[in-house]
Amino acid sequence: MPSKVERWKDEIYGSEIRDHLLRFAEEGWDAIPEDEHDAWFERFKWWGLYHQRKGQESYFMMRIGTPMGRMTPEQLRTVGEVARDYATGPVENPEFGDAYADFTTRQSIQLHWIKVEDIADIWDELESVGLSTIQACGDSWRNIVGSPVAGRDADELIDVWPIVQELHETFKGNDLYSNLPRKWKVAMTGDRRGSGQGDINDLAFEPAVKELEGEEVAGFNVNVGGGLSRKEPRFARDIDVFCRPENAADVAAGMSALFRDYGDRDDRFNARIKFLIDEWGPEKMRSVLQEEYMDYELPTAGQGLRDEYDYNAGRSDAHGDYIGVHDQHDGQNFVGLSVLVGRMGAADVIELADLAEDYGSEMIGLTQRQNVIVGDIADEDLDDFLDEDLLAEHSPEPHPFMRGSIACTGTEYCSLSIVETKNRMVRYGRWLRDNVDLPEGVNDFHIHLSGCTASCAQPQIADISLRGMKTRKDGDAVEAFDVGLGGGLGENPTFADWVEMRVPADEVPGYIANLLDAFEAERESPEQSFRDFVAERDEDELANLAESEETSYEDPYLGNTKLTWYPYAEDTAMDASPAPTNGQGEPLPSDD
Amino acid sequence: MADRVLKVNAFTTFDLLDGHVEGHGFEEEAFATLNVRTAREAPEEITLELELDNTELENVTPHADRVTLSADEARTFATELQKAADRVDETQP
Repeated sequence: MPSKVERWKDEIYGSEIRDHLLRFAEEGWDAIPEDEHDAWFERFKWWGLYHQRKGQESYFMMRIGTPMGRMTPEQLRTVGEVARDYATGPVENPEFGDAYADFTTRQSIQLHWIKVEDIADIWDELESVGLSTIQACGDSWRNIVGSPVAGRDADELIDVWPIVQELHETFKGNDLYSNLPRKWKVAMTGDRRGSGQGDINDLAFEPAVKELEGEEVAGFNVNVGGGLSRKEPRFARDIDVFCRPENAADVAAGMSALFRDYGDRDDRFNARIKFLIDEWGPEKMRSVLQEEYMDYELPTAGQGLRDEYDYNAGRSDAHGDYIGVHDQHDGQNFVGLSVLVGRMGAADVIELADLAEDYGSEMIGLTQRQNVIVGDIADEDLDDFLDEDLLAEHSPEPHPFMRGSIACTGTEYCSLSIVETKNRMVRYGRWLRDNVDLPEGVNDFHIHLSGCTASCAQPQIADISLRGMKTRKDGDAVEAFDVGLGGGLGENPTFADWVEMRVPADEVPGYIANLLDAFEAERESPEQSFRDFVAERDEDELANLAESEETSYEDPYLGNTKLTWYPYAEDTAMDASPAPTNGQGEPLPSDD
Repeated sequence: MADRVLKVNAFTTFDLLDGHVEGHGFEEEAFATLNVRTAREAPEEITLELELDNTELENVTPHADRVTLSADEARTFATELQKAADRVDETQP
């Protein structure tokens, strides 16, 4: 029997949701019938809106999908202005102020505290510069991920930007693919870095070469069924298909139609294509694709470039990100800036857009490591650009602990999370920077912090994986983390080994300090990466590597933040929330 | 180490309980998660899920236990729990 969500989708879904949202924007929050909230909130996702968690009723998170994280400076400025003008809530965040934008691990932008009454105006502003919230969430083609510097990066096989634009144009707002059984995440990689992180996507185009009709062709191998969620992580599997660049849209159409037709619509927990390929195996996936969805003979897979991948690969001989100054094809430079936990104040967003424009940049890029890139900086301007004040805050040469930190949204806004995340990761990063000496030769150290098992911060693919839990300390329930070690992508993708459970949040920095001491003392040589060090050890050795302990680190969020209406309010009690509010942010009368 | 078997998020019934496991010749303690689950659509039964932290256990392999209850059994169970809770309350000062 089709699920409840499927029935809601059968009634109204896809492009038509926009008209309803515009009606609610006109009539106000109260016009959304209370007994239909669940159905409408599910539908709103298709247009990029998530209702925030309990205690924050009437406020939404808005996601803007930017293919491969790529924008013009003008678009970035508009994001900053929309954040400044509309993404402010009743209480400021103590680390980030009253208006900010989040850059996500799928190269999108998230704004919070959005009121339904403002949606028409926000869309007008975004769409006037070519940005959109369409299909940013919901059961359809999500934002396509890949390298934002495609076509500029000197280290690439194929410029995938024209192909990604074609896919974006073809599959956004396309009724044939607007109602899939579940989300559909596509990655396209054309570089030698592996920066698309295709291994954790539903459909991955990985760079490859193959001899066809006597000619060596640069194109893609096609992998299917990766993903981290639901406590069932999978790497995408090779279905033995090579795809010429000009066929990418055909293969993508075939695969997403196959998912549309064969994905499980009865059980949403079993709906992602990773479960279909578990059931079918890669051979059947290939044969069904070939026989039912393709009108040409699919070539078998070509020779991939995986052995060159270094993006989030935990290698000691290469940085696993885009931070710093890099060469472009055209002799100019792109500069990757660190944005701690991906959150940037609205004023900084606007300033960055102005700077980029002043220096003649035509491209801003958001990366899957929640950082930002400014392209097209000429050699003669580079020193001046690097001296700009804003780059002291968002540095191209950050400390490794600041550089490698990723965090999800957490209890600040999310309904699923059980711990505070972003502000805590900021505090962890600062404390580690100020108190822990990294072992010689360690220039990258990735800590991914997720608030629950939903894995939005990609916790399974980091040097240190932190996943929200609870424990008891001095008789009180406190926020805590399960700890995993040694995950990463690259040539041989590996999920983390989970070695500790329920480490109290205030003892995590001490654990990391002790762990790094053990790594330095026991590693083979300064050239051995932390990931290789972990891979060499068995479970018992890993469990005994380090103890957690209290240090000078102080954690203001140890209590149960999911029970607050907002963790940073003066009065955090649920009944102190002003929500729901009207279009002016004034509390609406309660029904009680 | 093995990962948890059960997912844990804000909808989990209990993410922090004291658990015990007893077998022939051993007894161990660990924190546990306990969750009450029903199918999203047309549920026909109730599932109780229990998992003890495997990092704390030496004598059992990482696993979760599930039992299913009919609606009547769940009510009986709830009544028993309610009575037991009342008895505990009565002994509190």
